Amino acid sequence: MSIVSGIADYFPFVVRKPPARFRTEDDRPVHGIMAEYDSAADVYHAAEQVRDAGYTKWDVYTPYPIHGMEHAMGVKRTFLPLVVAGGGFTGVGLGFLMQWWISGVDYPLMKQGKPYAAWEPFVMVSFELGILFAAFTALFGMLALNGLPRWHHPLMLKERFLRASDDRFIIVIEAEDKKFDPDATVKLLEDAGSSRVDLVEDE
Amino acid sequence: MSQMTADQYRAHLERTRRHPALAADNIHLPAGSGTKLSALCFGVALAGLALTLLGAVVVNVKHALAAYQVGVMSVLAIALGSLFMIMIFNLVNAGWHGTVKRQWEHLFSMLPLCVLLVFPVLAIEVIRAVVAGDSGRDGFLLFEWLNPAISGTFLIEHKAGFLNAPFWLLRFVLYAAIWIFLAQRLYSLSKQQDLTGDRWLSQKARFMSGWGTLVLALTSSFAAFDWMMSMDYRFFSTMWGVYYFAASAGASVATLVIVLAILRGMGRLTGAVTDEHFRDLGKFLFAFSVFWAYIGFSQYFLIWYANIPEETAYYLRRMTGGWEALSFFLIAGHFVVPFVLLLFKPVKHSTLGLALVAGWLLVMHVLDMFWIIRPMVYVQDWASLNPGPTGWWVDVAAIVGVFALFAGVLIRKIASGPLVAANDPYLHESLKHKNYVG
Repeated sequence: MSIVSGIADYFPFVVRKPPARFRTEDDRPVHGIMAEYDSAADVYHAAEQVRDAGYTKWDVYTPYPIHGMEHAMGVKRTFLPLVVAGGGFTGVGLGFLMQWWISGVDYPLMKQGKPYAAWEPFVMVSFELGILFAAFTALFGMLALNGLPRWHHPLMLKERFLRASDDRFIIVIEAEDKKFDPDATVKLLEDAGSSRVDLVEDE
Repeated sequence: MSQMTADQYRAHLERTRRHPALAADNIHLPAGSGTKLSALCFGVALAGLALTLLGAVVVNVKHALAAYQVGVMSVLAIALGSLFMIMIFNLVNAGWHGTVKRQWEHLFSMLPLCVLLVFPVLAIEVIRAVVAGDSGRDGFLLFEWLNPAISGTFLIEHKAGFLNAPFWLLRFVLYAAIWIFLAQRLYSLSKQQDLTGDRWLSQKARFMSGWGTLVLALTSSFAAFDWMMSMDYRFFSTMWGVYYFAASAGASVATLVIVLAILRGMGRLTGAVTDEHFRDLGKFLFAFSVFWAYIGFSQYFLIWYANIPEETAYYLRRMTGGWEALSFFLIAGHFVVPFVLLLFKPVKHSTLGLALVAGWLLVMHVLDMFWIIRPMVYVQDWASLNPGPTGWWVDVAAIVGVFALFAGVLIRKIASGPLVAANDPYLHESLKHKNYVG
């Protein structure tokens, strides 16, 4: 999913979805190609081959998590932790600033003879706000990077795809991928041991 | 493990032992290694402790005692923290720590030595109090409440039932007995398992760890009250025990990282202790450094809010007269710097990187103990809050001496047997340990 088409999914009045690179014979846009595998081992090795072939816009769908799949897929480490750290430190800073402004500047109240802008009581609220901001950035950052939430996904219309939550291990390579080729991609997936390859259409 | 039949279990152990990382020359140091180094350590220790003794004569007995106590409480923390860590791992049936477990056991089996090192301070203080009698002037002892001259004054009156020499010494015996029992028993159970491969020894250790953690938590807290907090008998903090625990757990992990890094540097434990283990140890360092800051701040914050003179005097002393520089340095060095460094994965994954951070944290740990104990030396003498550079060499000599003694004995222990508990029931888990995240 490119950034433009991602935005277009939510705000079709802002940008128009780029035209699909490939269309079916009855002129429907192609989302990608879906290949089924019978076992975790099969899909693991198939994923390694897809990774080595240089594809970037593809994913593996399995009924349960498979350890090491991120290596087989060559998934790069997410930069989300950096965003979360930024969110956390922003929370700490804002929390401190807010309390300093309230207690020290805007509405100073004498309490127990302590200084108005003593830093000690600010630590707790700053800490909590740091946690809050970090948690929110983690959650919403994760959702944004995953392109979630979304109304619809072309795969959801595919009857056989639902077996990914039952007894099939599925690889989908999207047509947006630069290396995508209707013949070569199908051949790659079949050679990698797929038991069945299907076309996934968009609307 | 308990579901396996005896034969299945034996086969399981055989299978684990065939792992290439458990080859004999990978988990044994060459014969006779470490003798020179430990001899050097003993030499340094002798020189350091002799200099401390000289310091007691030419500078001040109290000063030398405090300096020595800084070293002793630092190494005691390492041993106590290690005992705690191993008992927790026993309790949760941990698998990942199998290959690093033996070094932690070496660290807590140093407890007898640490306890032995505490005793001279108590003995000397009691003797000095008895000899001085009623003529003892104000601020003459490190543990001022021992001074007969102040008995009956208001602030000591209510504490006299707890803070008196016989009970103090009795408590020392109690802590020593409990710690030595726990440490020796857990150590010998593990060593026995090396020979017999009996899986029920792990269950015994696990059972002991249940009541052991409870008893250890109480004894280490009270020991911290007795041997550090009571130096100012007017002061009290209910978080003191937790503070010492936080420091000790961190110091234990830091020391373990250094030991493992040296062993890996000597070409041992290849494939047994991997970057994955180091990453987890790095997480522990991070966690305990944050925990230390959390507890340290909470203690400060409660005292700051309540504003009771007996309590605030503790922080007032450390925020004036030159000590404030050390206070702020500790916040930065024990919390901020490791916090930032250990956030990064490459630091935790690299043997040298993590060893450097661990070394830094160990220095911070000693400075933390120094920050607690050392300002007590001139506690009565408000005119000279800052003792200045006079006698700083006594501090260095005592701390280096105690640590050298600790290191010398530790090196001998490590060199004396296998570096891995080869019959640990969960060793196979540790050998293939991986962090599946990130």
